[in-house]
Amino acid sequence: MDELIYTLKQQIIETLNLEDMTPEDIDENASLFGEGLGLDSIDALELIVLMEKNYGIKLQDPNQGKEIFKSVAVIADYIAKNRTK
Amino acid sequence: MMKVCINPEMVIVNGKVLSHQEKGSALLTKLYRTYIGDYPKFFKMDTLSKLGFVASELLLQAENAERFVPREDRAVVFFNRSASLQADTTYQATIQDPDNFFPSPAAFVYTLPNIVTGEIAIRNKYFGETSFIVLPERDPSIMAQQLQNAFQDPMTQSILGGWLDCTDENHFEAELTLIFKS
Repeated sequence: MDELIYTLKQQIIETLNLEDMTPEDIDENASLFGEGLGLDSIDALELIVLMEKNYGIKLQDPNQGKEIFKSVAVIADYIAKNRTK
Repeated sequence: MMKVCINPEMVIVNGKVLSHQEKGSALLTKLYRTYIGDYPKFFKMDTLSKLGFVASELLLQAENAERFVPREDRAVVFFNRSASLQADTTYQATIQDPDNFFPSPAAFVYTLPNIVTGEIAIRNKYFGETSFIVLPERDPSIMAQQLQNAFQDPMTQSILGGWLDCTDENHFEAELTLIFKS
């Protein structure tokens, strides 16, 4: 799981252009939106694309995204249980 | 008249050349890090928006007036001939391959040239007119007429405006000025 969390952090930094950030800067339990990483709605859409592109996971229900994108740790847990690639 | 000119190799603010070794989009990032540095959203922008953002920042820093105070009396009016070509190309690359079809929302949001006028208005709390006019070629007479038209709005007392064109990360040109109602 630790390796998946680290990889996911790298992918988030690259996909969302979080310049000057390293995986170590991201607390996997911190909120991604609002006061945490401060991501916005476009970032949320990019995360949906990231999930499908890298892990074969299609999120159809926006409310599902709200729960899954709470933190890197929650995303990683969801990926581990649902990935198809 | 305050004026900022930026091309991939040179930056001129009010006639003074700012020396930097970087070229192309790396020059824009260098300018951001050197003179701005407090707006991480910069890194999410397409090159046209980065160009407009950095050029407007240098211009407004040279103006040396109070900033980030909500105002309705300043318009943002830009012109170019390439619209949002670089962002369009970037987005197209995400949908080109049927076997690797992952449309990028972050790329898509910049596939209109007037996004940069919004970026600048949001940054500076400008609530006046914003326009981005695409011309077949750079035409000073049409540009002057359009800027004059913008002053027909009685609310508008000044315009942050000028030429802002970008075809890719290594080909762009900004020539922005602050124009005040006479």
